[in-house]
Amino acid sequence: MSTLLVEICLGTSCHLMGSQDILDAIETLPPEKRGKIDLRGVTCLKTCRKGPNARVNGVVLSEITPDRILAVIEDNLP
Amino acid sequence: MHVSEVTKIRRKVLAEVSRLALEGTLEENIAGILGTVVSEDGPRYRCCVHKERAVLKDRINMALSQPIGTPLSEAAGRALAGERADLPAVNLLPEACDRCPIDKFLVTDACRNCLAHNCIASCPKKAIMVVQNRAYIDKTICIECGMCKRSCSYGAIIEISRPCERACDLKAIVAGSDRRAVIDYDKCVQCGACKVACPFGAISERSEIVQLIRRIKAGHRVYALLAPAFIGQFGPKVKPEQIIAAIGRLGFHAVREVALGADAVALAEAGEFTRAVPAEQPFLTTSCCPAFVTMVEKHLPDASERVSTTVSPMIAAAKAVKEEDPSAAVVFVGPCVAKKAEALRYPDLVDFVLTFEELAAMFVGAGINVAETDAGAHLTAASRDGIGFARAGGVTQAVLDTLAHMSPGAVVKPQRAEGLADCHAVLAKMQQGSLDANFLEGMACQGGCVSGPGTMTDPRLSAKLLEHYAAQAPVATAPDNPAAREEKDLHRRTK
Repeated sequence: MSTLLVEICLGTSCHLMGSQDILDAIETLPPEKRGKIDLRGVTCLKTCRKGPNARVNGVVLSEITPDRILAVIEDNLP
Repeated sequence: MHVSEVTKIRRKVLAEVSRLALEGTLEENIAGILGTVVSEDGPRYRCCVHKERAVLKDRINMALSQPIGTPLSEAAGRALAGERADLPAVNLLPEACDRCPIDKFLVTDACRNCLAHNCIASCPKKAIMVVQNRAYIDKTICIECGMCKRSCSYGAIIEISRPCERACDLKAIVAGSDRRAVIDYDKCVQCGACKVACPFGAISERSEIVQLIRRIKAGHRVYALLAPAFIGQFGPKVKPEQIIAAIGRLGFHAVREVALGADAVALAEAGEFTRAVPAEQPFLTTSCCPAFVTMVEKHLPDASERVSTTVSPMIAAAKAVKEEDPSAAVVFVGPCVAKKAEALRYPDLVDFVLTFEELAAMFVGAGINVAETDAGAHLTAASRDGIGFARAGGVTQAVLDTLAHMSPGAVVKPQRAEGLADCHAVLAKMQQGSLDANFLEGMACQGGCVSGPGTMTDPRLSAKLLEHYAAQAPVATAPDNPAAREEKDLHRRTK
């Protein structure tokens, strides 16, 4: 089964801007969606001034919110 | 712990102030923060960019520990000179306060102008009438008893309370004549609950990061006293040794764990209990939570004599540093806002107090990523019980374990209270003698220090990580810890 790679930056700058909220939003998705996501924490995505940052399928998303990451995931789920 | 937009703005201001202070360009570039934190095309939370920036100026003054309304370059200059205005720990930002409504009961669209009119029938003051096909409360007559709300079959009458007022268990924050919040400092114990509650971010603690950075840059030996609640605060995957190493990279001379001070406190407090209860007093309360101690002083002064005279773990740890290195500067880093007020009582021992949030902002300002910081192994010098001080029940556990070792015959009947309302109620009962307990642990924050207003991690997560860290401690209790000793001078006053 193909999965969607979602990386959340857990570096200090992103942590301060609420990256844990992004992680929690994905963790609490229903199992049928959560199971299709390869969720990983990373330590830096090199765009620290625009946190919280995430990377979905290789594309870096800045100033991300829980709602927006869920929308992006919805659009990209295999 | 949800990071709201308001929280993000506060943190951005602190990180920018840190960055500029570390770069040495704070005075020239302070006004630039107005543009970087709130951009012309950025998200807007207030009516216009001008209002947004007026609010931001209040926030910057608070970040510099300068009075509200100080011109920014002057405020920056004073902070860089090491000056701190004589401000309480918790302050209202007048521009940010949205002057929430003070009408307590409001009839909503759900009112159907029914035939029963239970609201009108229930009102003891006849303050309700029907206007334009809907119930209307005459505010000049209403005594805010709430009978109408309870009687309405549709639940159409709602009770509105200001978040700051609701959060304050001690009724220390009220609406002023212009509906702006006013803090009554005769009642306030600086716990920071109102700061957490306000959705407009209109209450903030003052910060001393610039004054601290000045000391570090001047080459002083600055020691960080790290409160045990630090576990998990910088992200779930960050190891304690990485946090300690990152503090070193900021230019601190050394890091000490306050949990070791907590071990000394457990020994002193257990000794005090053995001597005083029940011979001199019917019960003893803890003294490690400064908001609890101040609550007793201000709201239940008759019970002041029941509060342990033992100093807090912060003070015990600070004493140890100053004995070893008298010219050191001591910075307490913790989850607590009330510690900023406590530190003012000990100007010779504690030089600065930072929250975990402020420390993280300093890391960001310095470009230090704790998650990528290399660090060697770290073994705590404190006991499991000393680390446990950071969560509710931990102090009780430490004192019980110490007493079991020190005076096995002692009869201890512990009681716990969390939240200032609970602390007040339980202590009042114990004063009356209507509770069968002789030891009270008072914590102003629900869940203890891990839930403090200066934290960054959901306390459910950080409490678990704390347990895990405590379990790795080489010794379990304070008496087992060779690094901890009962010191005679760990008392605030002699009875």
